[in-house]
Amino acid sequence: MGKSNQWGVRVKPGKHGLRLGDLNVGIYGDIPEQWQDQTRNPRGAIPRRGVPPVGYSIRDKADLWADSAANLYEEAIQRRWAPATDIPWHTVKPLPEALERAICQVCTELCQYANCDIETISSWQHQMAYGYHEVKQYLATASFDGARQFEAFRKRALINGGGLGLEGPGEVNRMILESRGGWTEAVTYAFLLRGTFTMTMLRYLERAACNDAERSLYSHAMEDKARHLTYALEHLQYAIAHQDDMKLILQQLLLIGHGIFARELKDNVLREALAVVFAGGLDRAGTEGLATYRRMMGDFMRRYLDTCSWLGVELEPKLMPPRMTQYLAQE
Amino acid sequence: MAQFPSEAWFEAVRQAYNGDDRYHGGGAGACHCRAAAKVGSDAYLLLFEGVDCSETRKLTDGELAEVDFYLEMAPQGWQAMIKDIAAHDGASLNYTLNTLDLQNDAGIARSVHGDQYREDLFFRYNQTFQYFFDASARVSTRFK
Repeated sequence: MGKSNQWGVRVKPGKHGLRLGDLNVGIYGDIPEQWQDQTRNPRGAIPRRGVPPVGYSIRDKADLWADSAANLYEEAIQRRWAPATDIPWHTVKPLPEALERAICQVCTELCQYANCDIETISSWQHQMAYGYHEVKQYLATASFDGARQFEAFRKRALINGGGLGLEGPGEVNRMILESRGGWTEAVTYAFLLRGTFTMTMLRYLERAACNDAERSLYSHAMEDKARHLTYALEHLQYAIAHQDDMKLILQQLLLIGHGIFARELKDNVLREALAVVFAGGLDRAGTEGLATYRRMMGDFMRRYLDTCSWLGVELEPKLMPPRMTQYLAQE
Repeated sequence: MAQFPSEAWFEAVRQAYNGDDRYHGGGAGACHCRAAAKVGSDAYLLLFEGVDCSETRKLTDGELAEVDFYLEMAPQGWQAMIKDIAAHDGASLNYTLNTLDLQNDAGIARSVHGDQYREDLFFRYNQTFQYFFDASARVSTRFK
């Protein structure tokens, strides 16, 4: 007892409090490119001899790092919301049956997306070395974001008598969950591809909200997803800067992912449900609702391609499935 | 009564926003962002630090390039939004910032630098910016 690698290091709270990133001073701020320790030894502590290895497989900084992870962790904690009390559920009033059914269907699929986020993150998190605790802590909040969204969308489905709808096809969920090439691959599928799609959908749902409860729900979920995307962008930038061929690898991964993503778009249940929600009912769903759906898909595609291009990962639309690129030609 | 747009109007909204705890919890809270509101040819800084909006002022030429993103609408667009907020004690469903951004072909959230990381702060802190403008319901406003 009484041992320390660096005695006398003091951290001081700033005007925003004592944040996780503020602790990175002295040796505690040394974040190596590779973390050799195979135990749960916290970064900066004195290792104990003879501790059996845990077997972390992600020990290279390039495989998980994002400079903003500590800040995103703080942000997720400080901007937390509770579906039980922060959503004005009392503003949900009876809606026409077709509209209610459509909202419930969309919420059912959003529950599945959220569930996929939780399972994906937690299936990788235990493989990440403790030397990069900022990322592990941020991802703990991202996993909680998924849990909270699952709760919130389930509540919206159940509060107005509609209940849950039909299970989504889940092909993209399976692709994300079964990506075994590394955490960067999972980030690419879960946050960059699916995350950008979900984010765009949430923005359009907020616009089509029937009451303040839905507006608040989608708006909060949007902020959660935006943090995931920020982490993803920074991590992918870092991975590209520190690993040969990473741009090409991401390009290949996305070409594979597009096939599965496009296959799931064939399923008309989500598309029709969204069209009904966007049109505010069944009457104009086939015209106005579908037109808004197409606009949403166009926005998603442009945003997605812009993001990839910003990362330096150029995607040729002609190499992508027409089921995705058809929406680019509309405006 | 404060005239929109003016430094006095944004300062009055800043004080209303900072002084009301309802705007700082439940999913809002800490925000670190240098945003701006562009009304016609005039732009106003909205600096957020922690749970407060710490500064609002008119920007000089060239300073718009330094903000993370700015919200731009024609004066009549701003006027319609502010009137809606005043009438409903907060933006109604048709006048949220996200809705206005989607309704406008070029979007209302823009940047000079094109850095997506910084532009995305509009989404990460969306509720905070919404609450800021919702606080304008507390400010008696006249328009130019």
